[in-house]
Amino acid sequence: QEDHKLSTSELEEKYGTSINKGLSSARAAEILARDGPNSLTPPKATPEIIKFLKQMVGGFSILLWIGAVFSWISFGIQLAQGSESPFDNLYLGVVLAVVVILTGIFAYYQEAKSTNIMASFSKMIPQQALVIRDAEKKELSADQLVVGDIVEIKGGDRIPADIRLIFAQGCKVDNSSLTGESEPQSRSCDFTHENPLETRNIAFYSTTCVEGTATGIVINTGDRTVIGRIASLASGVGNEKTPIAIEIEHFVYLVAGVAISIGVLFFIISVSMQNKILDSIIFLIGIIVANVPEGLLATVTVSLSLTAKRMAKKNCLVKNLEAVETLGSTSIICSDKTGTLTQNRMTVAHLWFDNQIYSADTSEDQTSKYPFDQSSPSWTALSKIVTLCNRAEFRPGQENLPIMKRVVVGDASETALLKFAEVILGDIMDIRARNKKVAEIPFNSTNKFQLSIHETDDPKDKRFLLVMKGAPERILERCSTIMINGKEEPLDSEKAEAFQTAYMELGGMGERVLGFCHLYLPENEFPDTYPFDTDSMNFPTSNLCFVGLLSMIDPPRSTVPDAVSKCRSAGIKVIMVTGDHPITAKAIAKSVGIISATSETVEDIAKRLNIPVEQVNRREATAAVVNGMELKDMSLQQLDEILCNHSEIVFARTSPQQKLIIVEGCQRQGAVVAVTGDGVNDSPALKKADIGIAMGIAGSDAAKNAADMVLLDDNFASIVTGVEEGRLIFDNLKKTIAYTLTKNIAELCPFLIYIIASIPMPIGTITILFIDLGTDIIPSVALAYEKAESDIMNRRPRNKRKDRLVNQQLAVYSYLQIGIMQAVGAFVTYFTVYAEQGFLPSTLLGVRVDWENNAINDFEDSYGQQWTKYQRMYLQWTGYTAFFVSITIQQVADLIIRKTRRNSIFQQGLFSKLFSFLYLQVQSLHLCVFPSYVYI
Amino acid sequence: MATLNEKKTCSERMENFRRFVWNPETKLFMGRTLINWVWISLYYLAFYVVMSGLFALSIYSLMRTVNPYEPDYQDQLKSPGVTLRPDVYGDRGLQIYYNVSDNKTWEGLVTTLQTFLTAYTPAAQHLNINCTSDTYFIQDTFDGPNKTKLSCKFTSDMLQNCSGITDPTFGFPEGTPCFIIKMNRIIKFLPGNGTAPRVDCTYVGDESRPLEVDYYPVNGTFNLHYFPYYGKKAQPSYSNPLVAVKFLNITRNVELKIVCKIIGAGITFDNVHDPYEGKTLLKNMCEEQTYLFSRSSVFIFSL
Repeated sequence: QEDHKLSTSELEEKYGTSINKGLSSARAAEILARDGPNSLTPPKATPEIIKFLKQMVGGFSILLWIGAVFSWISFGIQLAQGSESPFDNLYLGVVLAVVVILTGIFAYYQEAKSTNIMASFSKMIPQQALVIRDAEKKELSADQLVVGDIVEIKGGDRIPADIRLIFAQGCKVDNSSLTGESEPQSRSCDFTHENPLETRNIAFYSTTCVEGTATGIVINTGDRTVIGRIASLASGVGNEKTPIAIEIEHFVYLVAGVAISIGVLFFIISVSMQNKILDSIIFLIGIIVANVPEGLLATVTVSLSLTAKRMAKKNCLVKNLEAVETLGSTSIICSDKTGTLTQNRMTVAHLWFDNQIYSADTSEDQTSKYPFDQSSPSWTALSKIVTLCNRAEFRPGQENLPIMKRVVVGDASETALLKFAEVILGDIMDIRARNKKVAEIPFNSTNKFQLSIHETDDPKDKRFLLVMKGAPERILERCSTIMINGKEEPLDSEKAEAFQTAYMELGGMGERVLGFCHLYLPENEFPDTYPFDTDSMNFPTSNLCFVGLLSMIDPPRSTVPDAVSKCRSAGIKVIMVTGDHPITAKAIAKSVGIISATSETVEDIAKRLNIPVEQVNRREATAAVVNGMELKDMSLQQLDEILCNHSEIVFARTSPQQKLIIVEGCQRQGAVVAVTGDGVNDSPALKKADIGIAMGIAGSDAAKNAADMVLLDDNFASIVTGVEEGRLIFDNLKKTIAYTLTKNIAELCPFLIYIIASIPMPIGTITILFIDLGTDIIPSVALAYEKAESDIMNRRPRNKRKDRLVNQQLAVYSYLQIGIMQAVGAFVTYFTVYAEQGFLPSTLLGVRVDWENNAINDFEDSYGQQWTKYQRMYLQWTGYTAFFVSITIQQVADLIIRKTRRNSIFQQGLFSKLFSFLYLQVQSLHLCVFPSYVYI
Repeated sequence: MATLNEKKTCSERMENFRRFVWNPETKLFMGRTLINWVWISLYYLAFYVVMSGLFALSIYSLMRTVNPYEPDYQDQLKSPGVTLRPDVYGDRGLQIYYNVSDNKTWEGLVTTLQTFLTAYTPAAQHLNINCTSDTYFIQDTFDGPNKTKLSCKFTSDMLQNCSGITDPTFGFPEGTPCFIIKMNRIIKFLPGNGTAPRVDCTYVGDESRPLEVDYYPVNGTFNLHYFPYYGKKAQPSYSNPLVAVKFLNITRNVELKIVCKIIGAGITFDNVHDPYEGKTLLKNMCEEQTYLFSRSSVFIFSL
């Protein structure tokens, strides 16, 4: 990493290359074989088989495996004992195993599907690089580059590798994706700084060359580049658990705990009641099966992937299924400004001429045609300057596209001016052709102005027109007159004052202001043939006529203010974190509502009360604009204080590291933080965030890799949609779980009562599986389709420590209230069926041992009738069916209860999911009608 | 994604748990104040009282609505089961074996039969009337005492040689054992469609091979006047009619499989799932000892 200090010849020696001839193809191939292609290694993927096996043992699967193994063990014992019907247990074990495997395959399939979406997304268009090899210039795919290659870059190219420059002309690079600096940095061949990151003679991989040309030696490729190291750092941060994963884990622990403790407790009771160990084991399996909601994990996966699909339609691509819910629990969004909140495109926002400020149309589609008065002759003059003093051009062949969408060659402000003029005046190219340019001085940082001289389009007027634009104060210095209503008036101090006021006002809105002036050169001094020389400036550049100001801003997207206010009402704090200037940041924050109209910063209060900033009570200020420089000197406590005390915060001029600090600060407050970002430099923050959101259009691959979600349209409003979907899925999962848990009690009670009251078995293990995996699946999934309740975006985000997916209330309500009711209902059915067949409830109590005795074939019922063992078993199976039907019918009622949490059922619409009711009914009828099921 | 739950040490967890159980600062017991717990307990108490009340009410109304004399449905009980005494069950159902010369091996069987027949002594049957007609004893009214119906008398002497009166050892020492076959009661079941159902024992799988059997009462019939049965409440003293079979030429030391079917209209014995519905089977093996195996209505002999 000392390459920036070496001289050209030393570099040639080090890399065995020649500046003029480049590497030989053979040598390049050798190095390529040694170093590998010049591309970032994608994050290491877990082998498919491991993913698959994880699905097989995760969650409840382990419990079910235990159940299956127990079944097989008891089958083995029974077989060895030569018992009569050992195969029941074999089948039960097989069914349990099949359930686990099918659920596993299903979950795996769902996950694979969402991964595939991402895989297709990450395919990049191969980048080209101009390389000198074998003394010839060649276009090569950038991943073929090797260390020592000589590459040429020009404005607009992406730097294909880390390059030590050996020749540069007016070269500037945009390092924003690496360092977050928004200003282009100039590059030369000189060693300027010890730190390779600061020195001017190195250009970094994945940054963009904005202008100029350069030639350099490739010194690092692929993962060894600076950006590669950052990217691998980010991918090194392991993916940690999402809130929903934690919730589900919590739920699994809870259910498994209940299942195992009840199971073991009753196993002990059963054994101490002198039941056979084998029977007790079967009984234990029954309890486990009854307690574990087998279908639930599949349901959760389906629900999440349905939501993910729905979100993809709304331009939110979810990489990680569980991230869907994370977004719903988000309580702070740290949003980038450029591109997310704004259109990422300079647009003319205001004009100042005739001593008056006019607003221009900044909307995306330029709907309002004439937003300001265009009758003034001053406007005609101004528009001419705007049109002529501009080097930007449309790329040809875009005549059919809307003006705003056309690609322009030129820098951001010139592009804005060009589009502005094109919209209002029509064909700019034609106007320029009619006003032939005779001389031009492009903008440079010392002059701070741009000048050009044109022939006029009026054939009678032989004067030349000199037009100039630039930094307003510099332009004003060169002017002696000012145009008011088309007339030149002397620029006195009063008019200069007016200019200053307008300039301050526009600047105060965070806008970039340009001044425009012109001068008609007198015909006698500057005849047709006058040789204009831009180097010696043989023409006047002072005593010009000031025409007006134009100010530009990157305007907010039209959907953003609404989205921000939605976030507000949803209790989500939106924090702007940007690398931009505080003034611009604050202006945008105000215009989108991140800082609301009524709230003030400490500085605002100080200004209003006319007291020093230090005397202001910081608690009074709801808003805060924090500069990156201040942030640098702050302790963590101070940061926490700011995050706590102000509801509206803008961080301006922040570096990527500070972004990370801010995210951590928010997380210390216990918030679930969403971060948006697009650059490589954002990727650590994206990883650190609870949910990282990358921009699909502007985002770099590293950002997309680090993120959990990708906004395909780069639009902040999509996040709000995502939040809504996330909350919806949480609500609906809660409903699903409540629905699923309820019947567990009704399934569990039979086993307990069976042991305690010694009644014939009310329901069989396989029948339970029929409910869990058959009749209940579709209604649970249907609940995931449930529409949002009216208040979904008006309540605060859930507190991840308190608002659990399965909390005490839900469990208690499901288990101890609704569940008990269901059990009571099912038992009434059970007793009724037995009573109608001859066994009154009083007879059933304590009857189990005799009932199950194969040697008793004249078992007497309450009416004196006698039953053989098989006849009793048949009756017992009828009882299973009755219990089963009873549970499914009560589950329909349960479904109606669970449809809403807060709304009344009539608000929500009772029969919106009619098919699920019908399905449930058809299922249970189906099971009753076909007698073969009775043998289960 | 950032982590949400920080790692805690075990002692911290224990401390947290203790704090959860009793928090001295907020006076919270398991996350609630004591008074809160009282209210919750009261609520659940009330809730469960109501639930139990509802359950009791349901069961009560169920009991009020069921017919006390006969069950509402009999679709699970279409054909009577058949049982055998003595009923010794092994791994594969009824299995009876004994040694002719070793009285310890058959004493138990004899006692079973004797005990079983105590319900058929004249004393035990004194409430029942003597019936002579050979038709169904249909009673539409309650003619018996205390709103009951009359039952016909069946006394053990009707089993003649197998009654245990003339031969208290039921022919076990002689190798000609008696077995008593009983048909299960089904309310209002009319077997045989007018002709008395009878017991018929054969070797399993080889029905042509002659099996010498004496049936008691004659022909091994269940007299029709014992049917129909009107239920425990209407006929409290009803006792099932019996048929005794005495095997006369059991081959010793051979395992025999014998089936005894009850033949009569309305009695099915071809239910593959139920070995005890309407039939009997025997297996035989001849040795110095006599073994008799039986599987429900299936006997397995080994003499």
